[in-house]
Amino acid sequence: MGFLAPWFLAGLAALSVPVFVHLLRKHVTVPRPVSSLMFFERGIQSSTRHRKLKHLLLFALRFALVLLVVLAFANPFVRRASADANSRLLLIVLDRSFSMRAGTRFADAQQQALTTLAARPRGEKAQIVALGGEVELLTQPIADDAQLRAALESIEPGDGHANFGELGRAVRAMMETVHGPIDLDLFSDMQHSAMPANFGDMVFPPSVKLTLHNVAKGAAPPNWTVESVNAPAELADPKDPKLSRVEAVVVGFNTPAATKTVSLVIGGKIVATSKVNIPANGRATVEFTPLNVAYGFNRCAVRIDSGDAFPADDATVFAVRRSDPERVLFVHAAGDTRSPLYFGAALNAVAQSSYVLQSVGAEQATDLDPSKFAFVVLSDSLTLPSIFEHALDAYVAKGGNVLVALGTSAAHGARIPLWGGQVQGVRDYARNGEGIGVGQVDFSYPALAQEQPGHDNGGWPEVKVDYAALVDAAGVRVAARLTDGTPFVLDKQIGEGHILLLASGLDNLTNDLPLHPVFVVFVDHAARYLSGTARLSGSRLVDAYVQLRSGTEAATAAGSVEVIDPEGRRPLSLSEARTAQSLRLDHAGFYQIHFANGQDAVIGVNPDRRESDLAPIPDDVLELWSGSSSNEANGTASATAPEEAKQPVSLWWYVMLLGLLTAMAETAFASRYLGTEREEA
Amino acid sequence: MLQRYLDPAVLAGISSLDLLAKTVVDGFVAGLHRSPDCGFSQEFAEYRAYTPGDDLRHVDWNLFARTERTYLKRYRGETNSQLTILLDASKSMQYSSGPLKKMDYARFIAASLFYLAIHNQRDAAGLIVFDDEVREYIRPSTRQGQLARLFAGLERAEPQARTDYSKPLRHFQNFLHRRGIVLVISDFYEEPETIIHAIAPLRFHGNEVILFHVLDPEEIRPVLKGSMVLVDLETDRKMEVVPEYVKTQYRARMDAHLEALRTQAHAAGMDYQLLVTDRSLDAALREYLALRQAGN
Repeated sequence: MGFLAPWFLAGLAALSVPVFVHLLRKHVTVPRPVSSLMFFERGIQSSTRHRKLKHLLLFALRFALVLLVVLAFANPFVRRASADANSRLLLIVLDRSFSMRAGTRFADAQQQALTTLAARPRGEKAQIVALGGEVELLTQPIADDAQLRAALESIEPGDGHANFGELGRAVRAMMETVHGPIDLDLFSDMQHSAMPANFGDMVFPPSVKLTLHNVAKGAAPPNWTVESVNAPAELADPKDPKLSRVEAVVVGFNTPAATKTVSLVIGGKIVATSKVNIPANGRATVEFTPLNVAYGFNRCAVRIDSGDAFPADDATVFAVRRSDPERVLFVHAAGDTRSPLYFGAALNAVAQSSYVLQSVGAEQATDLDPSKFAFVVLSDSLTLPSIFEHALDAYVAKGGNVLVALGTSAAHGARIPLWGGQVQGVRDYARNGEGIGVGQVDFSYPALAQEQPGHDNGGWPEVKVDYAALVDAAGVRVAARLTDGTPFVLDKQIGEGHILLLASGLDNLTNDLPLHPVFVVFVDHAARYLSGTARLSGSRLVDAYVQLRSGTEAATAAGSVEVIDPEGRRPLSLSEARTAQSLRLDHAGFYQIHFANGQDAVIGVNPDRRESDLAPIPDDVLELWSGSSSNEANGTASATAPEEAKQPVSLWWYVMLLGLLTAMAETAFASRYLGTEREEA
Repeated sequence: MLQRYLDPAVLAGISSLDLLAKTVVDGFVAGLHRSPDCGFSQEFAEYRAYTPGDDLRHVDWNLFARTERTYLKRYRGETNSQLTILLDASKSMQYSSGPLKKMDYARFIAASLFYLAIHNQRDAAGLIVFDDEVREYIRPSTRQGQLARLFAGLERAEPQARTDYSKPLRHFQNFLHRRGIVLVISDFYEEPETIIHAIAPLRFHGNEVILFHVLDPEEIRPVLKGSMVLVDLETDRKMEVVPEYVKTQYRARMDAHLEALRTQAHAAGMDYQLLVTDRSLDAALREYLALRQAGN
């Protein structure tokens, strides 16, 4: 209880008026004259008491009237929990992740959701949410049964990986706009792999009442699947034993030891078969070699004859493009023989690459055409022939990529070719003793990508940098920094192409990077990134994104992108085909993409194999989750959350209505009593 | 149409008693002409045998010439009476629940009767205004200007003191030398025995006595919406009264008082007429004329 305008309470001083009129002022009775009292007798009943009672009632009415008017101006309010039936929102979340395809899980969940929707109180608003690779809000909070039902029925099982942490984040974001309480009904198989690393991410706000509908009753059924396939995306020589091989890992979840048949399928035909003994709840590796594929894109798959209850995850698809080996132009400074040696050795060591390194001195690069190379490396070559530099400019603008390494020749003020800037300074760490390590690494950057960097930060901290150039990092992406914050790996987009700048050299003089294993990984990923083959074939996970065009590219300058999804449909509209920056791969299967620059790509898309582990979340964890909202409401969050749930409700209207009734009653009583007194007078 | 002017509410708007009395009486007389039951005239009434001592001027000599017998020819109009009005001017007569005070109503009655007596009946008329003593006395007379004097006397009669019947009536008996009609106009707030006892001597002198009991309708049927304090106009005594008593016992006592007054007045040979101030004046005039006619 409070007052929105408490200063009006000063008007309570007006209460003294009825007090003065009724209690302080002596009431004067005007006697009524008669001719004679001959026939009258004194009344036994005291009229004074009657009058006093009447006046007390009138006084009370007037007192109440003044009080109510003052209160109405002060605008009282109470904090009331907005928990009435109409303000509750029923949030129906239907899990459409890949694991829901197992058995009749999705059909059961959808049916239960429809039943819950039909059983909600009449007029209660509801909202339909589909939980797949991302959280999709299919409707607004509405009460229209037909629309809600249609939204529920339109949900189909997807190929994405559900994450309850994402759901928690989405609901928390929703609570910023929906202030009332939410009844969240989650229809899911409660897959353990859908839990986020941090349990707190999946905890809902206190005003959300979570009801779990587990459609996966009982223990998890045994399920075998092809966990991963290691196959070259590009293949130049099928006879190369190092490259022309497919290595598949098959895994069993909640399975006994069994012998399964694993097949390699290329172009729809089984080209190889292998029997493999899979231990109980264990993994086994199957290798198919050689990989005889034809020129061009080959749609391949590794399939296990599992015979389990979840056949949808029995195959893993991937695309292999067979082409001739691509050449890489390595331009180095005169007399520098170390950097091509290290880089070439690393490039050859990468099994999945099919590159031929062509190393030339900077002064010999005049007549070279960069467009004939997969990518170009400029190793400590700040001075280039102008013709070659112009050719490189055009090459980058059209989509070519260049790796620039700044070595010992990068003195202060030296111009960096192609980069559009100068070296702002150099850092000689060897002068102060030992070199400096690499501190921050952005592992989401394609050239530095590592799926599981681990505690050693991917091996980068072991690299010692003795000499590094200082480059202006404004407007560019810094993928790695030294421990003192100096940008170490930078990426700058120029036209359609990218410049990958390494602030140190590749020659083992300015750093010891070439001596570390991480150098091979770096060269491998950098080569794939710079050559562009990383996005043209191979395999991706569902809900991964493919960049269709660069952000700076004008839509009118480039042609349309053509995408054909696994079901043979074109997911992009005509306008999207001309403007879309990226494409979300939300279906499992082969995507065929024709880029605006004329390149074609075939990408195999597989569901996240975490979806194949059908083990449910333990019951105690589910109880903790579903009870976390109310527990927190009663616990630590009770100090703040209930306050937020309550909303001030103004009582002005009620007070004013009461005042009006009091005024009417006062008028009626006053006119009656005072009229009588006048008459008596 | 002229009956309308007998309405007290209408008469209250007339300031001049002369005009008021003329309006009342003319209207009343005109109304009487339309009623054969109440008619009267000053034409020949009867013959009476002459007895010694009779005025010889009244002998019908023409009849004597034809029959040689002496008869006296009598006319109705030739009998004169003396009207004396005793007007109570005590403070209680000041009471009013409407536009007309009881005193005003009594004035109207007196004025109308004076006009009727002097102008129409050619009777002598006099006035005694009293409260607890005689405050004004106008000797009955038929002289020129008597009517004006009577009206002036009525105008001066303002309620002042308490009512006391015995003292002024005792005094009044000293003025009466000739029998006639005596009208007592009062609200008679006194015990009936006391009133009759005080007025009865007038009757013994051969007067025709009429009691005009003027009351306000609120005095007969008072209405109280709540308990209240009442004050006596004459004594200034205050009393708290409850409505329940007024509704029941007061009315019973008032009715008993009226009935006792009526009964005892009739028993004493007096006429009694209750006049309520919201009713027309003709009742009072009709009573007077009936008595006047009976007296002839």
